[in-house]
Amino acid sequence: MVSGCLAKIVFSDTRHNYLLHYLAALGVVLLTPVIFGVSRLDERLAAQPLEFFLPLMGAILMPAVFMPEQNESIRDVVRSKKTPYPGVCFMRLLCGAVFITVLTGAFVLYMKSMDSVVTMRLFAGSLASTFALGAAGFFASAVSDNVIVGYMTAVIYYICNFGLKDKLGVFFLFSMTTGSFDEKKWLCILSVVLIAAGFVLRRLFRER
Amino acid sequence: MLFGKECRRILTSLTFIIYCFVVGLFFVSQFIDENKGDPYIPDEKISEDHDIIIDSAVDCLANEYLANNYICYPLGFYKSVRLKEDDSQKVEECLLEITGLTHDELMDIRDSGEHYYVEHGIQETMYYEIGELPVSDTITYERFCELMGQVDDILGGGSKYKVDDLVANYSYVPMTQEDREAIISDLYDKDRVVGGYARLFSDYVGIDLGIMPVFVAAALVSADRRKRVSDLIYTRKISSLKLIFTRYTALVTMMFIPVILCMISADIHLIRYFDFNDLALYKMFTLPTFWLLPQLMIVTAAAMIVTEVFSSGIAILFQFAWWFYSIMADGARLSGSISKFDLVCRHNTVFGREEFMLSKNDFIFNRIFYFIAAIVITAITAYIYELKRGGRFHGIRLFGKNSIFRHKA
Repeated sequence: MVSGCLAKIVFSDTRHNYLLHYLAALGVVLLTPVIFGVSRLDERLAAQPLEFFLPLMGAILMPAVFMPEQNESIRDVVRSKKTPYPGVCFMRLLCGAVFITVLTGAFVLYMKSMDSVVTMRLFAGSLASTFALGAAGFFASAVSDNVIVGYMTAVIYYICNFGLKDKLGVFFLFSMTTGSFDEKKWLCILSVVLIAAGFVLRRLFRER
Repeated sequence: MLFGKECRRILTSLTFIIYCFVVGLFFVSQFIDENKGDPYIPDEKISEDHDIIIDSAVDCLANEYLANNYICYPLGFYKSVRLKEDDSQKVEECLLEITGLTHDELMDIRDSGEHYYVEHGIQETMYYEIGELPVSDTITYERFCELMGQVDDILGGGSKYKVDDLVANYSYVPMTQEDREAIISDLYDKDRVVGGYARLFSDYVGIDLGIMPVFVAAALVSADRRKRVSDLIYTRKISSLKLIFTRYTALVTMMFIPVILCMISADIHLIRYFDFNDLALYKMFTLPTFWLLPQLMIVTAAAMIVTEVFSSGIAILFQFAWWFYSIMADGARLSGSISKFDLVCRHNTVFGREEFMLSKNDFIFNRIFYFIAAIVITAITAYIYELKRGGRFHGIRLFGKNSIFRHKA
C-alpha cells in the first residue's frame, strides 16, 4: 500500500518536476561522444569521458531532490500529507541514482563496442565520481534549504578539480585519468556520508 | 533607497557569501600563491612569420592526412578523427593546392620514405617519413588560412588547423637572449610591471566571473516567487524598468566589490616583490575593470532574463554550458585566446604583451559588445517583468502537465 503510494508519488514527481532534469542528464550522455573520442582508447584515455563529463549527471539530478518544495505553497501541502517527506526524497534520490547507473552502464557498453578498454573498475570509478559530485550538491541543498546553493556547491567542486587538484587530495574526481583508483573508495565514503548527513541535518534543522 | 535595500538583500544571501568565498579562494590559490618572486619567462615566442606557419602546418597536415588520423581537441579533450573517402579527398585537394604537388607526386613522396608507428590509445597508427613538403609559389597567406579553415570544418573543429590558432600553433620559435631581455624590458617599460600582472589577474578572476554570478542573480530573482512576495511587488507603484535596473545595478555593484578588493590585494602583493617606483598601480584597476565588468554584467543579465522567462535551474544550466564551452573551446591554449565573442578571455601569462596586442581590437570589440548587450538584455527583462506584472505572460515551463510548452497557471 505504502510502496504503491510512493511509486505513484515518484511517477507523478518525475512527470511534473524532474522530466527536464532527466532529459538534461540524457543530454550529457549524448553529448559526450561529440566532445570526446570514444573509439580504440586505452584505459587511461577511456577514463576521460567517464570522469570529466558523465559526473555532471550527478550535479544535475542529485541537488534537485528538494526542488519541488522550494515553493512554500507546495511545501505547506506536503507537510499536511501522511506520507513521510524524507521517504519521498529518498525515493527521488534512488530514482536519480538508478537513472545515472543505467546511463553510465549504457555508455560504458557503447565505448566497449567501439573497441575501447573499459573495465568494471572504470565503470565503478565513474559512478563514484558522479555520486560524489551529486552528493556534495545534495548536502548543500539539504542543509541550506536552497537548491541553487546545491547546484553552486556541485559546480564549485567540479571547477576545483581543474585548478586545485593537489589540494583536493583523496577527493579528486578525475584520478583515473592519472592512473590512480585509490581515490574512488574515498569518494564512495564521501557520497554516503554527505547523503546521510544531508538527511539527518535537514530533519534536525529544517523539518522541525 | 531601493538600491540600498536590494544591496542588503544580496549581502545577506547565502549565494553571495559563497560567491565572495570562491572569488577570494581562487584569487589566493591561483594569483597570490603562483606569483611569489620573479615571474616565469617562457622559452619560446611567437614569430608570426607566415613562411614558418605555412611550412610547419603543411607538414603536419600531410602527416595526418597520409595516416588518416587527425588528433583533435574539441573542447580541450582528446579525440582521434578518421575521415571517410570523400572528406579525405577534400583534405587532399587543400593539401595539393598549398604544396603545388599533384596526387601522384604526393604519393611518390609517401612511398619513397620509411614508415613508423605511433600509439594512440590501443591503436597503432602508421605514419610516413615524408620530410619537408614544398609550398606552392602562388599560394598567399590569406588563401592558406581559407584552406586551413576548410580542413578544420571537415574535421569538425578543435583541430590543429583552426585559423585563429595557426599563429600560436605553428609560429613558436626559441627565444634568444635578446628576446628575453626585450620581453623583460616590455614588462618594465610598457606594462610598468602591473600591466602584465593585471592581465594575469583578469585571466584568473575571469574564470570565476563566467559562472559564479549566475547563482547570486538567479537566487535573488527567484526569491520573490519562492517567498511568495511576487504579487505584492507587482502591485507597487514603482515602474518595472526602474525596479529591474535597480536590482541589476545592485547585483553588479555588490558582485564587483570582492573583485575590487582582490585588485587592491594584488597591488599590495606586487609592492612586496617589486620596487615601488617600477609599478604603475592604477593599471590593476583600469584593465581588469574593462576586462571583467562587462563579463559580470552579461552573465548577470543573462541569468536574470532566463530566470524570469524559464526558471533558475535553466539559467544555471544555460550559463554552465556557455561558460564550459568558452573555457574549453580553445583547448590547451591559455594565452592570447581572445576572439570577438568569447565570454571568458584567456591570457595566462605575465609576459606575452605582444601576443595580447595581436588580439587587442577583438578584445575591445568583445568587451564593448557584451557591455551593450547586457544593458539591452536587462531592458528586455524589464519588459518581460512588465508583461508578467500585467498578467499577460506567466513565464514558460518547458514540461508542464498537459503540453510541452505550457503557460504557468
